[in-house]
Amino acid sequence: MKAYFARHIQVFLATLGDLMRHPGASFLTIAMIGVTLALPAGLYVGLLNLKQLSRSWDQGGALSVYLHHGASGQAALAAIRRLPGVQSARYISPRQGLREFERQSGFGHTLSALHENPLPGVVVIHTPNSPQALAALAAALRTQTSVAHVQSNLAWLERLDAALALGHRVVTILGALLGFALILILGNTTRVAVVNRATEIEVIRLVGGTDAFIRRPFLYTGALLGGLGALCALILLELCLLLLHGPVHSLALLYASKYSLTGIGAGNACKLVALGTVLGWIGARWAVGRQLRPGVQ
Amino acid sequence: MIELNHVFKRYPGGNEALSDVSFAVDKGEMVFLTGHSGAGKSTLLKLISLMERPTRGQILVNGHNLGRLSPRRVPYFRREIGVVFQDNKLLNDRTVFDNVALPLVVAGITGDEVRKRVQAALDKVGLLARARGYPLTLSGGEQQRVGIARAITHRPALLIADEPTGNLDAAMSDEIIDLFKDFNDHGVTVLIATHETRHIERLQKRVIALGRGHMVAAA
Repeated sequence: MKAYFARHIQVFLATLGDLMRHPGASFLTIAMIGVTLALPAGLYVGLLNLKQLSRSWDQGGALSVYLHHGASGQAALAAIRRLPGVQSARYISPRQGLREFERQSGFGHTLSALHENPLPGVVVIHTPNSPQALAALAAALRTQTSVAHVQSNLAWLERLDAALALGHRVVTILGALLGFALILILGNTTRVAVVNRATEIEVIRLVGGTDAFIRRPFLYTGALLGGLGALCALILLELCLLLLHGPVHSLALLYASKYSLTGIGAGNACKLVALGTVLGWIGARWAVGRQLRPGVQ
Repeated sequence: MIELNHVFKRYPGGNEALSDVSFAVDKGEMVFLTGHSGAGKSTLLKLISLMERPTRGQILVNGHNLGRLSPRRVPYFRREIGVVFQDNKLLNDRTVFDNVALPLVVAGITGDEVRKRVQAALDKVGLLARARGYPLTLSGGEQQRVGIARAITHRPALLIADEPTGNLDAAMSDEIIDLFKDFNDHGVTVLIATHETRHIERLQKRVIALGRGHMVAAA
């Protein structure tokens, strides 16, 4: 067992040494993988940022419930609070509403010319933000006798959510395609390497080397190139974020927001590197398996 | 050690390289395989080292029925034999030491054991001082000796050689053959394919002669 690990470490170090002896070719492959992976990873980070943006907006009331004139506000409020999915509900009486409106709109004097208060009582409901739950709650509210009209303040947020879900799907598809591209890139690199080392492979076979022994350095090379390529993608991504940071900050300031871009995060970064390594291994395994099949060499 | 029973080898295209070849080589024997080029010597050695499989017939080597050996077992079988090639098949981007160490490395032997065995093998062929050199810096005879060191470093019970003196002058050629005789004196079974009758006369060993794929004589 110890010898087994020693052998693997030996091959790993030899592979690393090999890559460093041919920095030109290795760099090109790594850069190619870096660009390939940076694209879906960048889109993913963009989505993360949009999601965060939408989350920071869902603090307002989710639903405004307009009551019939003359309906008892407190009774309606009590009934609404019993509905499932209502996190909190606040009653704004017609008089309170009028006062708020006077203060915010500047129409105070005009309104006082009216003989009676035209505003209905309103119940503002907060709820955990799931579009389906919101729709169900709105439907339940409409059946209440005291309720005249239910307005969802989050309709645009729902649309944004839907758009984000679409974006997520696009990123997933793109990621899968480019992941496949990475397998192909490393498959081709490995195929060329196997052809270049045909003599070595022949000799190793003649002295009793197993296919696993022959495969090992190629698999390590593939995995290493994939992992380093992912690392390269992360560096490209951080560079892009750095370039965008200034403009985003200025834009956010214009909206009086403290919003700033978030990076890919340590967890996701590790996942990307692991993914690159695994895809690199798969690409190399696929190519070397094809090349070593009897009759191919 | 080696037993062939009615072995045929036909290549795609209808070229019959071997036809009804049968012979046996005992443990500890040294045998020359002779014949003109094209007589089937190389083909025969390729069948014995399982680089190729016969079209028909049975081959037994070191207790293995080669026809029944699965592809997965072939590498392990090859570790029981040592093969010397006419073009020596050294890896020119590795040192002499690394070339000779290769059969040990593929067998999973590591560390000091490798160093000891490689040094012993190189010492045997008189090239210990060149261990750090590269094959291309050596003469043809020296390269062939590195090839021989590589073939014996894992202490095989059977050594086979395909025209090991093909590219060498007479003096070097004698040296190489004497080396094989020395291994044979230490108990290794040796089978050498050669078209040089000089060695055969000099050493007085058994000869198996091939002509156009057929057995001509098996003394």
